[in-house]
Amino acid sequence: MENNEEEPIDDEFEDFEDEEDSREVVVPGEVLTEDVTNFLPGRGTILNKERNKIISLNIGLKQIKKNYINVIPLRGFYTPRPGDKVIALVVDKNPVKYKCDINAKDFGQLKPKNTIKKGKTRGFRGAGPMREDLNTERFDIGDILIVKVLSADRLNKPELTTVGKYLGKRTGGIIITIDPPKIPRVIGRNGSMIKMLKNLTQCNIFVTQNGRIWLKGEDIAHERLLIESIHKIASEAHTVGLTDRMQEYIINEKKKRGIE
Amino acid sequence: MPLIIKDEYPETLFREDGKRLDGRDLNELRPIKMEVGIVPNADGSAYLEWGNNKIYAAVYGPREVHPHHLSKPDKGILRVFYRMATFSVFDRKRPAPGRREKEISMIVADCIEPLLFLELYPGTSFEVFIEVMDADGGTRCASTTVAALALADAGVPMKSLVSSVAVGKIDGKKVVDLSGIEDKAGDADLPIAITWYNEEISLLQFDGDMNLDEMNEFLDLAKDALKEIHQIQLNTLKSKYIKLQEETLKQKDNKKGEK
Repeated sequence: MENNEEEPIDDEFEDFEDEEDSREVVVPGEVLTEDVTNFLPGRGTILNKERNKIISLNIGLKQIKKNYINVIPLRGFYTPRPGDKVIALVVDKNPVKYKCDINAKDFGQLKPKNTIKKGKTRGFRGAGPMREDLNTERFDIGDILIVKVLSADRLNKPELTTVGKYLGKRTGGIIITIDPPKIPRVIGRNGSMIKMLKNLTQCNIFVTQNGRIWLKGEDIAHERLLIESIHKIASEAHTVGLTDRMQEYIINEKKKRGIE
Repeated sequence: MPLIIKDEYPETLFREDGKRLDGRDLNELRPIKMEVGIVPNADGSAYLEWGNNKIYAAVYGPREVHPHHLSKPDKGILRVFYRMATFSVFDRKRPAPGRREKEISMIVADCIEPLLFLELYPGTSFEVFIEVMDADGGTRCASTTVAALALADAGVPMKSLVSSVAVGKIDGKKVVDLSGIEDKAGDADLPIAITWYNEEISLLQFDGDMNLDEMNEFLDLAKDALKEIHQIQLNTLKSKYIKLQEETLKQKDNKKGEK
């Protein structure tokens, strides 16, 4: 089941665009524009008290989309949102729920009813899952799970589920962590970067929004090359023409290391 | 019998040529060097060398609050831990946090808090650890400056940076950025911090004697110095990324030239 899995590509990852004019680095408090009649404050920006300047809130790249001014952050932390697929580590469990580390400020909660498919019913009328299934013996502490966030807000702990496509326990493979704001760059526009990485290194990759990347290749040499490439992408996320440069880098490294 | 060395101050704090003891002009800052991202395990970090001051700052968060009873249900909290290394001053500094450490931790936190959006992270805390490795006057100003830098490096949304500097009066003359000996032997000392979001004063402490007219002159004097410090902060945050951008652009140009 693990092999031949395709990475789902989200359409919302269009943050990093290869436009020359969107490469300006800004820092918190920097005035982005004083023209408030033509521009509106978008993501990562705020109006000042007199409402005559748009100010950046993050360290990031300035981007103008239509009449919105956004700042794409270069550093930051992961905030869970409903629908996100993330890699979780089971850190604790009790008879009613698992506690999962999802690289966010709160631990995620995984309840046993969210680990069982709903269609699995008892008797011909269907009376919900078997009582014996509603325990926490399916996973152990230390397991790596791919989960989906069911609900998340700033007050309550995020609720997770393992029912769905690509979700569930992972055995084997390697997990690496990078800065969560740089994940869109690893995927690239319409998944161009990740397709290139997959084709050139023949590895399976699963990129999740909380900054963790699961990967598994045929041998360790390819995996090592892939890990180095991903770290290189993360450190050069704010530069222009990254996909082409990475392609060149991987081909050169393959020649150097003698792997086909 | 412990060796007791009494503090001895020179009679005058100016040299014969009119400059200060370390060779600075009246409104000249000590040399400042800043770096960001030097603690790999922290979410954000910064290092500052300001004259003889050497200060590290590391930021962690948002994360759970320990002890839990300090957490607030409607907003996050900002906790600052200012500590001095035992070897940072002339006499051995006792490592336990005392009255002074608690005070400086509090003023740094109060100084930065209005710039953060803590209401977005209820029940959590941002923690800033400031370690003074070497102290020579003005560590509270330097700590505020470096804490803001570390928070920005961590990617915490904030309205602007904070810059801080001390101005004061030594031997009847108004000077900027007092060093350790000027701080102790001088007449007055006025640490100021400013938030650049709406240019409000975020910290103002005072020790010594001066009249109200002088106070206004001091504030004007400080503003020029603060602008200089703010510019260094901005350059430090940006240079890390701009360097890489320029390198890649150069490579691109070279390739085009080859073709």
